[in-house]
Amino acid sequence: MLLLPKFDYYEPREMSEALKLMSKMKTSAKIIAGGTDVLVNMKKGLISPKSLVNVARISELSDVEPSNGTISIGSGLIVEKLTEFDIIKKKLPILFKAARVLGSPLVRNRATIGGNIVTARPAADLPPALLAVDAKLKLVGAKSSREVSLDKFFIGPGQTVIKPTEILSRIIIKELPPFTGGDYIKLGHRNALEIAIVAVASRITLDSPDGVIKEARIILSAVAPKAIHAVSAEKALKGEKPTAKLFEKVAKLAAGDCAPITDIRGGAEYRRAMVAALTKKTLMNALNEAKGK
Amino acid sequence: MKEFNVINSRVPRVDARAKVTGDARYTADLSMPNMLYGALLQSPHAHAKILNIDTSAAKKLIGVKEVVTAKEASPIKFGLSPARYDEMMFCMEKVRYVGDEIAAVAAVDPDTAMEAISLIKVDYEELPAYFNIFDAMKEGAMLIHDDYPGNINAEVHQEFGNVEEAFKQCDYIRTDKFVNKKQDGAFIEPQACLANYDMDGNLILYSSTQAPHYVQRILSMVLNVPIGKVRVVKPYVGGGFGPKASASTLELTACFLSMKTGRPVKMVFNREQVFMHSRARHQFFHELTTGVKKDGTLVALKNTCYLDGGAYSSFGIATIYYAGSLLGAPYKLPNMKYDGYRVCTNTPTCGAQRGHGGVAARAAWEQQLDIIAEELKMDPVEFRLKNIMQRGDVTCNDFNMSSLGMKECLEAVRDGSEWGKKKGKLPKGKGIGVACGFFVSGAGYPIYRSDTFHSTAMIKLSEDGGTADLYTASAEIGQGSDTILSMIAAEAMGIRYENVKIHSGDTDFGVDLGAYSSRQTLMSGHAVKMAGEDVKRQVLGVLSNTLKIPIEDMDIKDGFIIFKKGNVDFSGLRSYYIKEHRGWTDQPAGDKLTFKEAARIAYLEKGVVVGGGAYKPGELGGKYKGATVGTSPAYGCSAQVVEVTVDMETGKITVDNMTDAHDCGFAINRTNVEGQMQGSLSMGLGEALFEEVKFDPNGKVANATLGEYRIPTALDMPNVKTIIVESDEPNGPFGAKEVGEGAIMPTIPAILNAVYDAVGVRINELPITSERIFMALKDKEKK
Amino acid sequence: MKQIITLTVNKEIYEIAVAPNRTLTQALREDLNLLGTKEGCGIGDCGACTVILDGRPVNSCLILAVQANGSEITTIEGVANGRDLHPLQEAFVEHGAIQCGFCTPGMVLSAKSLIEKNQNPTELEIREALSGNLCRCTGYQKIVEAVKIASENMKK
Repeated sequence: MLLLPKFDYYEPREMSEALKLMSKMKTSAKIIAGGTDVLVNMKKGLISPKSLVNVARISELSDVEPSNGTISIGSGLIVEKLTEFDIIKKKLPILFKAARVLGSPLVRNRATIGGNIVTARPAADLPPALLAVDAKLKLVGAKSSREVSLDKFFIGPGQTVIKPTEILSRIIIKELPPFTGGDYIKLGHRNALEIAIVAVASRITLDSPDGVIKEARIILSAVAPKAIHAVSAEKALKGEKPTAKLFEKVAKLAAGDCAPITDIRGGAEYRRAMVAALTKKTLMNALNEAKGK
Repeated sequence: MKEFNVINSRVPRVDARAKVTGDARYTADLSMPNMLYGALLQSPHAHAKILNIDTSAAKKLIGVKEVVTAKEASPIKFGLSPARYDEMMFCMEKVRYVGDEIAAVAAVDPDTAMEAISLIKVDYEELPAYFNIFDAMKEGAMLIHDDYPGNINAEVHQEFGNVEEAFKQCDYIRTDKFVNKKQDGAFIEPQACLANYDMDGNLILYSSTQAPHYVQRILSMVLNVPIGKVRVVKPYVGGGFGPKASASTLELTACFLSMKTGRPVKMVFNREQVFMHSRARHQFFHELTTGVKKDGTLVALKNTCYLDGGAYSSFGIATIYYAGSLLGAPYKLPNMKYDGYRVCTNTPTCGAQRGHGGVAARAAWEQQLDIIAEELKMDPVEFRLKNIMQRGDVTCNDFNMSSLGMKECLEAVRDGSEWGKKKGKLPKGKGIGVACGFFVSGAGYPIYRSDTFHSTAMIKLSEDGGTADLYTASAEIGQGSDTILSMIAAEAMGIRYENVKIHSGDTDFGVDLGAYSSRQTLMSGHAVKMAGEDVKRQVLGVLSNTLKIPIEDMDIKDGFIIFKKGNVDFSGLRSYYIKEHRGWTDQPAGDKLTFKEAARIAYLEKGVVVGGGAYKPGELGGKYKGATVGTSPAYGCSAQVVEVTVDMETGKITVDNMTDAHDCGFAINRTNVEGQMQGSLSMGLGEALFEEVKFDPNGKVANATLGEYRIPTALDMPNVKTIIVESDEPNGPFGAKEVGEGAIMPTIPAILNAVYDAVGVRINELPITSERIFMALKDKEKK
Repeated sequence: MKQIITLTVNKEIYEIAVAPNRTLTQALREDLNLLGTKEGCGIGDCGACTVILDGRPVNSCLILAVQANGSEITTIEGVANGRDLHPLQEAFVEHGAIQCGFCTPGMVLSAKSLIEKNQNPTELEIREALSGNLCRCTGYQKIVEAVKIASENMKK
């Protein structure tokens, strides 16, 4: 049996209370919501925070709020709910797809969207999809709050710009323009309970159903210390007419845009090749979706 | 066709209701008043001298009741094969792998025990460590054990016929290499035990073991407690597959701590400890050379194998023999040579796992046979059929095929999978492959040299005759032996399944070597059948005296006495029975005399109605060295056809369909046979596609979780078309033989052959990850 | 320091004192003596500790008992109605879905959650719903069949 070390436990009901606790305890405390990451690391002896602050009972953190062309998702929303809300399925299908392949149903019933972001794991499932739709994060502190684009949030494995006294409260996504399509594909060994060997999220927006690519995002996951944009690939898509040949070329560029390593899940060479394969596949699927197919 | 009332049916398992409601108790669920919790200190180094152990801080911690090291513990060495007893309860002078046990504590709760472990200070001097056999065998490598020169733990050299001469007569000869990876048992229940040494010197150990008998002997030997005072009880066990078949330091420590403290001690492995303890599948490096004639006749096989055995011997001496002896069959092969070398490394100890010793050899050879068939332009099924053995054949290493439905299995999967319509006709990326398998049905000899009975059984009738209590020391570990043995007992006595109450997995109930080598249906089954027939004979004997009818003129079926020569007036017996049960509402009625009535009469006559049975195999073939590993009273066999899809872009394999036929001799429980087949295929699929124990640069298991060590999920395993073949084994009870292990044999090679059919690459290294396929495809493109 | 929490388990209300570092698995097994919930890995990889928490199947090894305060929980002990098995349990028994039984409680609870939401699950939906519960014995086939049969029986 795996045991947990001892810690003090706090369970604020209000955001203000949580923030007060965090500004008092700072790095000696860890925030817990679903616990699927924090408790695993504690059981493995990787971390042993003096205190845990459970934010799961702060009700304002677990809703989805559509307003004025944006969708604002509470950080405490469990991943399974991302697959249940109609609005996510309809307006953010790429996030829906990513949520569907995270861990297992048992994990999705506890893990939260916020947890999947702040833990900053290089192979996390939700950040690539969220980066592809230009998500912003609302970070709340005791005295002030700020909005940070997700692109500026990650520093490296386990590291982000969030301060120990701040709490990620909401994930804010602007509704996507018409003729937009996206796709997220995760390559794992098994068909469930997997951490990605490579994952790619692509999103394109056309100027008209048969027009050129107005905007493009290609996010590569598990091939760098954090999820990254395939910069040259994205650039090469802009203003071009989408064709299989273009996607082929862009896929090769994407492979050059990443810096994979060899680890327990896969070799660097294979990962690079898979970036190309998945980029092409996700772009094709994104195109079909953009055209309303 | 013989007619049976209980066996060959699909009755639910005897333990199904307990398990489906959460009532079933596993070892970790047990507790005792005043119980302490034990924990182990395990080595962080792969190879190091122990300079000093300081337990003083641990001993001072409040709540700690005992701290023990090699200084306090028994120095008696143990293991599986007496010639290679090389394990000790705690390391004396050095540690040999990351996880080797150094010390243990007993404390009032698990948290305190773990804290005490962290307070034990050990000074080490690190030694050169070897994580693969090539480094371990290098000239000048430091010895891991002084007794194994060159770090070679065991060598086997066998030749049957004359391979070199035979190769001269071959039209086609080819050599291939093949390697698998260390696999983990990955049973869902981690090992657990609870020991109590009472004030009268009786030691009882509850343990999640597959082999209570072997554990009992080792406890007795190492702890110096007479065997009659050592009782090993196996509660429900959450899977074993081989690794739980040997006595362990966990078990010895719990007992030892209980002997020292005078209190019950419970110990449970966490998942990482399961991986470190291992005793699971070896890594095998095979080189096979096979020679055939133009017409496809198999002539000779030369098999060289190096096994990575890890730090200690465990079951490895059997493993090294099996890696040679299980080839040849199920094909007629007159010449076979085998050279095996088991090498020690500073990694967790390998032992037995489902398909013991034979899985990698089988995968290597069945893939090679496919290559040869292609070279000869023969259909792989036809090629195999041409060489197939049948009932009555004897292998060159003296295995007697007293029954063998191999041909029937192969034809069944060929037809069941529509092989003819698919082979060579599937689109690119889709493939179909076939393979055969073969396995023992019980080891012919115990792991320690002995003339012991392999299984005993006892059946006692309740005084009302309504229930037959079956006592056996056999081990139900999930495979279903309690169900099978209850069915055999019922059939043998002629009573109903629900009237048998089984008591098993307890060394107080007799001798049984346990759940390994696919032995219990045949061996325990024999003993139980004998006991049942004994009971039947005794009941009929009393009845014969009472009714003055010869025994031969009576039988018992479905709970009723059959009078073969027409009606008999038994009204006197019935009134007697009814008088004995005045006031009861379930009195016998009807025109048939019930077993219950007859058994009551027998009880009133004898007082004790107990039947006994004991089994050991008769004379088996083979007088050569090593003939004790592989000879068996019977052999099971199987064939599989697998269909796959390979994603050409990523290399990812999807197994779409599996068709499996297994000759189990005679299916005692058809549902259970199918369950064993499907479970075997799932473990084979895992080993083929995902499973590999990996090590970090310090020799620590790098993926000691079920997240990073991947066994198939419900989304990875397809449905299996399951075909049962029955060949009526003369040496098995009611004609039954094994299914639990042999069924895994064809899975890996059938997948390999299907992958080749799909994309045209041969893979000689497991697992066939998407990366391995992708790289092979890329290499092929370059050529 | 221990905290007093209230759990409604299998429709019974329990008030227990637990230390913050006790998992829900431990609280159920050690404090409530509900030993049907198993621990196979302790880190959410195997699903043997599955319970239904406020309507959703979860790994109880990754939930602090204090986090579950006030929740409604179904463990395997709460699935049958006294001696009457739930149709799912009947199907598991009848159709060979059980071997060693260690994954069985978790499997039954994941399956129960599924068929309460989806009365006509397809084979794929069943496999997806059970994909967090590892079984090393059965190859899943008979488990999937049993869930399908149970879902059909429950409509009768």
